Amino acid sequence: MLTIIAWRNLWRNRTRSLIITTSVALGMWAGTFIMAIYFGMGEARLRIAIDNEVSHIQVHHPGFADDKEAKYNMPMDSLARVFQKIPAIRAFSLRSVTTGMLATTSGSQGIQVNGVDPAAEQATRGMQNFVQDGDYLDPAQRNRVLVSTKLAKKLKLEIGNKIVLTLLDTANNITAGAFRICGLYHTNNAPLDELNVFVRKTDLDRLIGTDGRAHEAAILLHRDDDLDPVFQQLKQALPQLQIERWQEISPETALVLSSLDTYSLVFIFIILLALSFGIINTMLMAVLERTREIGMLMAVGMNKLRVFGMVVLETIMLAVIGAPAGLLAAWLTTLWLGHTGINLGAIMGESLRDFGYAPVIYPVLPWHNVVQTMQLVLLTAVVAAIFPALKALRLKPVEAIRT
Amino acid sequence: MQTVIDAHNISKVYNPDTIPVHAVNSVHLHLNRGEFTALVGPSGSGKTTLLNIIGGLDAPTEGQVVINGINISELKPNQLINFRLHNIGFVFQAFNLIPVLTASENVEFIMLLQKRPKAERTRRVHELLASVGLSDKLNVRPSQLSGGQQQRVAVARALASRPQFILADEPTANLDSHSAATLLDIMEKMNREEAITFLFSTHDQRVIDRARRVITLVDGRIENDSAATQIRH
Ligand SMILES: Nc1ncnc2c1ncn2[C@@H]1O[C@H](COP(=O)(O)OP(=O)(O)O)[C@@H](O)[C@H]1O
Ligand SMILES: [Mg+2]
Repeated sequence: MLTIIAWRNLWRNRTRSLIITTSVALGMWAGTFIMAIYFGMGEARLRIAIDNEVSHIQVHHPGFADDKEAKYNMPMDSLARVFQKIPAIRAFSLRSVTTGMLATTSGSQGIQVNGVDPAAEQATRGMQNFVQDGDYLDPAQRNRVLVSTKLAKKLKLEIGNKIVLTLLDTANNITAGAFRICGLYHTNNAPLDELNVFVRKTDLDRLIGTDGRAHEAAILLHRDDDLDPVFQQLKQALPQLQIERWQEISPETALVLSSLDTYSLVFIFIILLALSFGIINTMLMAVLERTREIGMLMAVGMNKLRVFGMVVLETIMLAVIGAPAGLLAAWLTTLWLGHTGINLGAIMGESLRDFGYAPVIYPVLPWHNVVQTMQLVLLTAVVAAIFPALKALRLKPVEAIRT
Repeated sequence: MQTVIDAHNISKVYNPDTIPVHAVNSVHLHLNRGEFTALVGPSGSGKTTLLNIIGGLDAPTEGQVVINGINISELKPNQLINFRLHNIGFVFQAFNLIPVLTASENVEFIMLLQKRPKAERTRRVHELLASVGLSDKLNVRPSQLSGGQQQRVAVARALASRPQFILADEPTANLDSHSAATLLDIMEKMNREEAITFLFSTHDQRVIDRARRVITLVDGRIENDSAATQIRH
C-alpha cells in the first residue's frame, strides 16, 4: 500500500510531476544520444584503426620495434604457411618497411616506405579505396609510388613526377631508387598519411635486399571476437617473433575508446546532477505541503522507516518514470541517425580527419552503457530522496497536526 | 474495574526559557476500561496538550503516563510509535485521513501497518465502515465525503487497530449539529455494545451532555470531575 500511496501522491500535483518527468526524459534523451554519438565515434575510430590502419594483429621481428632497420626481417614463406592454416584469418599483408628520405627538386622529407603487395594491401586495409587521384599501385608496373595528398601538397608533387627515395639496406649501406608518382591517397588519418609512401614490395626488396623477407605482417580477422584466440595461436606458432594486437599497436585508439566511455558517463552524471536538484526541490515541496498528513501518519503509528520509505519510493518513481521515455526517444533518434549518419565534416571541416576520425558519425546505442545509465538514474533517485525523506522524518507529529 | 490510563501529576510548560506557558498543571487523571469521558473546558485550557501527552504524542514537562501498566515516558521514540499503533486510536479535529486513499483503504492502512492478514483486514474494513454507516462509501476518497462522514471514517480507522482506548480531540468541532449528533451516536453505541473506551475533548454543550463522565479543565487544572463529584454525593 506504500507503493499505492506513493504512486497516487505523485499525481497530486500533476503539473509539477510532469515537469520533472519530462525533464528526466529530455535529460536521458540528450545524455543517451550524446553517448550514442560518442560510442559511434569510438566504433568508427575502432573500425578505421582495424580495417584501414593497423589490422587486428601485427607480427614483427623483436628488434624491429626499437630500430626500424632493414635487417630485422622475417621469412615470408613460413609466416604465410602459419597464417594460411588459421581459418579465422581473413587476409594478411606481408610488408617490407623501412625509413628513408624522399627527395624532390623542391625539397626533401623523412618518410616511411612501405613495400606492399598491392592485392594483399587492398585485402587487409582497403588501400585502393583511399586513392583520390591517379591510380593505385599496378602489380605489373615497376617503381611506382603512392604518396598522400597531404605530402604532395607540402612538397608540391603531382602525379607523374619523379621522386628519389634514399634508403638503408640490410647491411646499412645507403641505396637509392627513382620512383614515379602513380597516385595520391588520402586516409582518415592525416598525421600518418604525411609520413607514409607505398611502393610495390618487389621494388623495395630489390633496393634494400629483402627478397623473400618481410618486416611486418598485418593480419585481418573475420571477426573481432577471434582476436584473442588467434593471438594465442600465433604466439605458440611463432614464439620467437613479436605478436601484437591492435590495442598494443595503437594504444591511443584503445585509450580513446575508454575515454569516450568515461566522457559519456561524466556527461550523464552531470545531467543527472542537474536533474537531482529539480527532484529534490519537488519532493521537498511535496513533503512540506503534506506536513499535516505525515504528522498524522506518524501520530497514528507509522514508524520512521515507513515514512522514510514512502518518501523515497515516491522520489524514485518521480525520477524513474521519465527515463524509459527518454531512452526510447534516444533509441529512435539513434536508429534514424545511425542510418543516415551525422555529417560533422560539414561543421568541423577537415579537423576530424586530423584526429583520425571519419567525418560522418553513425551513432550507436551502447547497451551496456544504457544499463549503466539506468542504474545511475536509480542511484540519483535514491540519493535525491534522502534529503526530502529526512525532512519528513524530522516532523514532530504534535507540531504537524496542531491546527 | 481495570485501569487503562493513569496519568500522574502531569505538567506541561511550553517555552520554559522564553515566555513560559503553563498549559497543564499537576493533573491527575485515572480512566477505567469502558469509560465514555469528556474533557471539557474553554479554548486554551489545555485539553489538546493533555490529550497529546496521554496519547504519547508529546512529552510532559513533569509527571508520568501509565497505560495498561506501561510507563510510556520510558519508551524510545520508535517503541512509542509502535505502542501508539497497537494501543491507541486517534481521532483528530481534522486531517485524519490520507487524501489519496479511499475510505476503505484508509481503514485498512492502519491494519497493514500492524501486519494483519489480508482476510482479517478485508472483513474488518467492511464491518467497521458498516458500523459507522458508510457501507456505500467504501471506494470514495475523503475529498468526496462530508466532514461528518470523514470523521466517521476516522472513528472506524481508530477502531480498526483494536486499541485500548480512543482519544478524540474535538472530533465534532468542524461538524454541524446533525453530523455531530450522528458521530456521537456511533461512538456511544460502540462504547455501549463493545465496551470501547473513549476519551474526547469538546467545548460543545450538546456533546458534553452525552458524556457519562465530564472532566473540566480550567487554565490547565482539573476544576471539576463528575466521577469524583458523584462519589462525594
Ligand atoms: N506549541 C506551543 N507552544 C506554546 N504554547 C502553546 C503550544 N501549544 C499550546 N500552547 C498554549 O498552551 C495552552 C493550552 O493550549 P491547548 O492545549 O491547545 O488548549 P485547548 O486544546 O484546550 O484549546 C494555550 O495557552 C496555548 O496557547
Ligand atoms: Mg485544542
